Order: sequence, then structure tokens, then C-alpha cells
Amino acid sequence: MDYVRKIVEEFESKYIENYKKNWLKAKLSSKGDLLSIAKKLKEEGLRSLSTVSPTDFLEENVMEVNYFFEDLDTKRNLWLKVDLPREVEECSIESLTPLFASAEWHEREAYSMFGVNFLNHPDLRDIIKSQDYAGVYPFRKDFDWDAHEENTVQNIQSIVDAFKEEQNENELDLDSDSSETILNWGPTHPASGPIRLRVHCDGEEIISIDPDIGYVWRALEHLVTKKDFVGAIVAVERLCFMDNVNSMTGYAMAVEEIAGVEITPFASWMRVVLGETARISSHFMGLGGFFNNMGLHTLAMWNMDTREFFLDFLESYSGARIATASVEPGGVRYGLDMVMFEELQKALDKFDESIGEVEAIFVKNPTMKLRANNVGVLSKDEIHTFGLSGIVARGSGVKTDIRIDEPYAAYGELNLEYITQEGGSSKDRFEMLFRELKQSVSIIKQAKAHIEEAVASGEMNPTKDHMVKMPKKLPKGEAISRVEWARGEVLMHLVTEEKAKSPYRLKMRAPSFNHTMMLNHLLKGQSLSDIPLIFGSLYICQGDLDR
Amino acid sequence: MIETIIQAVVFPGLLYTLLWTVGLFWFFRKFMAALHKRVGPHFNGVAGSYQTLFDLSKLLTKESITPVGVNPYLFSIMPLLAVVVAMLPSAFIPWTDSGAVVGSEYGLLALVILIGVEPFLLFLTGFGSNNKYSFLGGIRILTQSISMETSFFLAALSPALLFGTLNLSTIVDSSSWFSFLVLFPGFILYFIALLGLLEQPPFNIPDAEQEIVYGFYTEYSGTNYFLLKLAEFAEFMAVFAGAVTLFLGAYKGVFVDSYFFFFTKMLFIAIVMMTIRAATPRITLAQMLNFSWRYMVPITLLNLAWVLLAKALFFVGA
Repeated sequence: MDYVRKIVEEFESKYIENYKKNWLKAKLSSKGDLLSIAKKLKEEGLRSLSTVSPTDFLEENVMEVNYFFEDLDTKRNLWLKVDLPREVEECSIESLTPLFASAEWHEREAYSMFGVNFLNHPDLRDIIKSQDYAGVYPFRKDFDWDAHEENTVQNIQSIVDAFKEEQNENELDLDSDSSETILNWGPTHPASGPIRLRVHCDGEEIISIDPDIGYVWRALEHLVTKKDFVGAIVAVERLCFMDNVNSMTGYAMAVEEIAGVEITPFASWMRVVLGETARISSHFMGLGGFFNNMGLHTLAMWNMDTREFFLDFLESYSGARIATASVEPGGVRYGLDMVMFEELQKALDKFDESIGEVEAIFVKNPTMKLRANNVGVLSKDEIHTFGLSGIVARGSGVKTDIRIDEPYAAYGELNLEYITQEGGSSKDRFEMLFRELKQSVSIIKQAKAHIEEAVASGEMNPTKDHMVKMPKKLPKGEAISRVEWARGEVLMHLVTEEKAKSPYRLKMRAPSFNHTMMLNHLLKGQSLSDIPLIFGSLYICQGDLDR
Repeated sequence: MIETIIQAVVFPGLLYTLLWTVGLFWFFRKFMAALHKRVGPHFNGVAGSYQTLFDLSKLLTKESITPVGVNPYLFSIMPLLAVVVAMLPSAFIPWTDSGAVVGSEYGLLALVILIGVEPFLLFLTGFGSNNKYSFLGGIRILTQSISMETSFFLAALSPALLFGTLNLSTIVDSSSWFSFLVLFPGFILYFIALLGLLEQPPFNIPDAEQEIVYGFYTEYSGTNYFLLKLAEFAEFMAVFAGAVTLFLGAYKGVFVDSYFFFFTKMLFIAIVMMTIRAATPRITLAQMLNFSWRYMVPITLLNLAWVLLAKALFFVGA
């Protein structure tokens, strides 16, 4: 602990403590030190800033800003806190964007939601929230949502006005004799999903891209604070419905940590089985989506065919195919009837039977390779700088996988290896998806065999072991938990108050946010044809992009 | 007079084209569904065969929206013109052994010119839509047609050079198993160029929905959209029929000559095209240009040289 601690000790801090296996937690006494400590951290290898998350303490009259620095190589991470005054006029701090490119959008988000002013930020505009929230900060504890909702018509009018104004500006700014134009790629575009990319292009060549996000902003991070600890899982799982289980696992782990509760081995193994099933369901969609974006729908259809069998298992377990609400603090929601594993076995058999032809026709497809190789290439350095994770990071050869780095649930007992690919191009990311799909199936097989064995020997009782009792009220505390979600690393930062019945603050750091930030970087100078391909290969989900 | 009217309205005119469109549309859906591991149209009629009919009649009766700010005449006349031009080639095709409706010494020339005009009309639909995506689609279709038509024409020329005539009936009469083998490279090249001309994968660049929102189709709806679709399928028919006439011996069959064989051969080409469609992603405009000018055009020229050589070796003395 070592070099990170040494750096932090050079500065005046309120406390420094070890946290979990990989983390060091510290609170700076003065916000003035932030820039110099960040500079040193970067020199020492903590090159990724995972997220910036303010917490608004109304009673203490303090805005506490959390910085999560990560080193993807050595896995030494730092959780740094600093207090700011709460008043909007004084709530400001030096921006870290000049040092950590990954901070750009996270700081913009903190600015939009909490009104933290980041000095020297290159582009401090509102993000995610719609124009009717201009000048107000919805995640501050004293924001009155009900009063805001009363003026629905005015709110919509302000969104429309802002859009028209922007359109007029576009027409004025561009020379009418030139071939330059601004395309709205989305939000109702065949391949975009609910996101809008302002594509400034010259004919087919892209000059710059400015993503406009927030079309599916449900303020999930605010929503959880209105629910109790169990009810919050329905908000958490809606991070992205493709892989809903792993985000719930992350949230449940954070709650359990604060409550000081250990879950049973059976529950942790079930979390693996359910989580990997959800990951498979997500990866199948991702693989299909990648080819959809090149105008070929066959793979998506084939994948649907196999995916249904995995959803059958989720349905037999939880009653729902997509939004399963199957993991909650204290374990997993339901006991397991061993008959349900027969559904899973059917899915695994179907997978083994059909995956060969997918590989032969699509993974080895020469036209796909011609098209996607050398497009959207990300180097290892860029992965570190922009804090990318999941298949995008591993596709560029960076060995990062929370399941191995910081084992949770029963992943520590599994036979699991990093899967990486060297090229970093769109094609590599596609192949990563396919290889991880196979890996997930092998994990499910291992976990299923383990549970069956333990149940047969009487070690586990599948109908009774699924839950441990959770306290009704949680003590004051905070925790972070990280899970390897289908699309990358999800970091949950949970804060509770004294005798808490519901979360005080939950920050969900979602991978698509960082990945979308890369679009301008990757697409500048490319042609219009590359937008859907690169967009698809980054494996972005608008659900966790906007939250 | 009556014969001419029947030819124009029934066979091989309007009704025939409509029947072909409805039938092929249904067949494409059903065949694609099988490749996709789906069921496809199912409930209406035998194996969902009425589905396309219903869809087309729905399109015909739906409101056809003309966007504000476009020239309404240009916008609405282009689909109509596109259908007419796409249907004209069938007058020059010798569908049965009684010959073509218009028996011309220059049948092949008429065929390639009418096929070649079509993309320009589609460009004008994109140009007239006053939409950025449509305009980009229009530019793409022009770029693609210029580069793919070069090799298409050169490939279509090979039977004419071999038999020394532009008369399609004469070409069919002179064709044999042996000439089929000689022209086989030409047929493959014609088929590849056909994919580019008909905007089929991997060359479905002008109406790439994920990139430019169906290109020139973006603003079209209702009747106008129906007409554009009809033009597309009539164009399929013209190009397939061209391939069958030039390379596969048209109506010539195993024991008897009949239209049935003509149709079967066209269907065969459609099936191959569909299978490629189900397994090949789209390439980019730059890659298409590269492929066309660096490989296709030189190889089609080489093919012409081969046809002339074969003619000198095997055909002149006989």
C-alpha cells in the first residue's frame, strides 16, 4: 500500500484508511490540494478517473465530492474525498479534465445535477438533463421535484424552443455554399436508439460529433432514494434491461456491506448463475446488434432463437423474462426448485448445438473482417486515459475484469481467466463478445455443477438458503461495490444516513457513459458509414448512459 | 391493336409485373424467414401468401405525404417514371419462343440503356426530397451506378460479341451448353455487377438504413412508396430476365421449351441473391469504389478478351 498511500500522505488529510482489498480511502482537508495530488497520482500510474460523484449533505451544509482513481494494470485504486461549501456560488473546485480525459463528462454530469462548478473545464455544459432544468440542480436534496413537474407545458415548450434555436444556429453558422452540414443522427434513427448525435460532416466525411444524451433519463439515482432498500432494486435493474442481474448484485453487495451481513454460499452461487445468464442474454443482443449495424439481420435472429432458452430459465426462476428483480440485499429473491435447472440445461444444450454455425458463418465472415478490421481502433493508452472497461478494454489487450480483480459472489472459487484480444478494432470487440459468451457458458456449467453437487450432498438447501435476514434499518455508512457488468465495470457508491430505510445517495457509474465519450475521438475524419459500426462495437446501452 | 393492348396490360406488361412483384415479395419474405430461423408471413392465405397483397393494397390507400418545401411535381412524378422505365425492358425480352413484343435488332442495347437510366431517376427522387439523408442517398446511388454499370455493360456485352449480334432472340437461338460454358465467367461478373446495380448486399450502400435512413426512400410514404417498391421489383425482373436471356438460354428447357424454364431460371438467380443477402454485411462506399474500378472493370475487360479468343478458336470455323 505502498506508493498510493505515500502520495496521499504528502498532503494534509482528515483520514487515510485501507478499504477492501484494492482500495485506499482518504479525505483531503483542503480542496486546493486536489490538482497537485492528481498530478502525482497520474505520474505514478493511476491514469483512469473512474467517476466523480458528489454527495449533497443538506444538514451538514456540505457538498462532498468523491473521486475514484483506478490503475487498470496494478489494480491499486484510490477513493479520494473532498468537502466543498454547499452554496451554489461557492461550490467550485479545480477541474481534473486537463489531466484525466475521462473526467470530462463525469464533471459535466456533476455540474448539471449538483451544481458543482469545475474551474478550467474545457466544455462545462449541461448534460443528460433536459433544457427545462437549465439553471436548477435536480439531484440537490433541496430541489422540489413536485413544483417542477407542475409546469409540464412550459417545460416541454422550453425543450422545443431550445431545439429550434439550435437548428437555426446550425443553419446560420454553416456557409450555405459549402458542402458542410449538421446531421441529426437520432433520436429516431434506425440504428441509434434514444440518443442524438449531432454529426457535423462535409459530404460523407465527419468533421466532429457532439453526442446529445438524456433521452431516457429516468433519474434512477434519485428514484432509489424514494424507495426502501428492497424496492430500490427495480430502479437499479433498469440501468439496462439486457443485463439486469449484475447491476442488482452490485447494489445488493453495497447494502450488505453497510448492514454487515454475509450471504449464504448458495445465494452467492446463484448470483453467478443468474448473472451469467443475464450476461449471455446481453451479449447475444450485442452480437446481433453489431451485424444489424452493417445491414445484416440474420445473426440477430439466430441469436434470438437461442437467447429465448436462457430467458426461459430466468422466467422459470423469477417469473419474468427481462426485468427479473431476482437479486436483493441478503441473497437472491427466491428459492430454487431443482427442476428449474432442467430449463437451464435445455438452454446450454441449445447453445452448444447452435454456436458452431454462428462461428463459421459470422465470426469468421470475410466481409465482416474486411469491413470492421482497422476501424475504430483504440490503443492501450486510450483505454487507460478514458477509463474504458469491459469488452472494449479487453479488446485492446488491457487485462481488467472485476470478476477476477475483485472477486465477488462466488467468482473467486471459479476457474476464470482474462480473455483479451490485441487489435483494439471493432472486429476485435466483436470477437471479444463472442469469446466471452462462450466463457459465460462455461462459468454457468461450473456453477451449475457445483450447486447440484452441494445440494445432493446436503451442503446447501436450495429452498431455504437463498436469503439471510436483513435488518429493517441500516446504520449510517457508505460503501462502494464494483461488478463486471455485461457492458463493463459498474461502480456503485451507496451512502446511508442514521437508521436509514432508504438509500441517501446512490451513484451508479455506468460504462456506456465513458464509451459514448469516445465517439467524437474515434469518428473524427471517418466516413458516415462508420458511425453505426463503431457505435455498435462500443456496446453502448442508452439505459445506463442516461440512468 | 387488341394484341398490343393485351401485351401492355397483361403479359408481359402491367399485370404480369404486379403479379411478379407480389409473388416475389412474398417469396423473399418466406425464404428470408427460413434463413433467419423465423416463420415469416403465416396467417393470411396459404403460407401467408395474401400478406403481400394486403400490404401493397394498404400502401396504395394510405395517405401519401409530400413534405413542405419540395417541388411536389418532381417529388411525385419520379416514382411513376421509375416504374414505367423499370417495366419497359420486358418488352424487349423474348419471354417465349414466339419472340419479344418488340423484336428489335438492337434489343440488347435497349435493355442495358433502360436498366442504366433507372438509378438516375432514383437519384432525382433523393434530390427532390429536400432531406439531407435522401440527398446523401441520391449521391451514393449515382456514385454506385456509375461504377457498377461500367462492368455490368461490359459483362452484358460478352454474348453479343460471341454471337455477333445485338438481337436478343438471335442470342437465345444461338446459345448452347457449350456457349454457356464459354460465357460462364461473364455470367458471374454480370451477377456481381447485378448486386451492385440492384443495391443488394454487400452493395446495399445507397439505401443503408443504419447509415442514412434508407437514403432516397426516407421521405416517401403511401402510394409513392408503393410505386418505388414496384419499380424496385420490376427492376429485379428486368435484370434477372436479362441474365437469363443473355447467359442461361432463356426459355430453352430440357425436353420442351417453355416459359416455365425462363421463370425457374429467374427464381434461381433470386435465390442465390437472397442467400448472399442473408449472410453478407454491407461494405462502405470507398470499398465498393475500390472493388469496382480496381478489380471488376479490369476483369470484365479480360473476360471480353477471353470471349473473343474463344470465338476465334471454337466458333468462327463452324
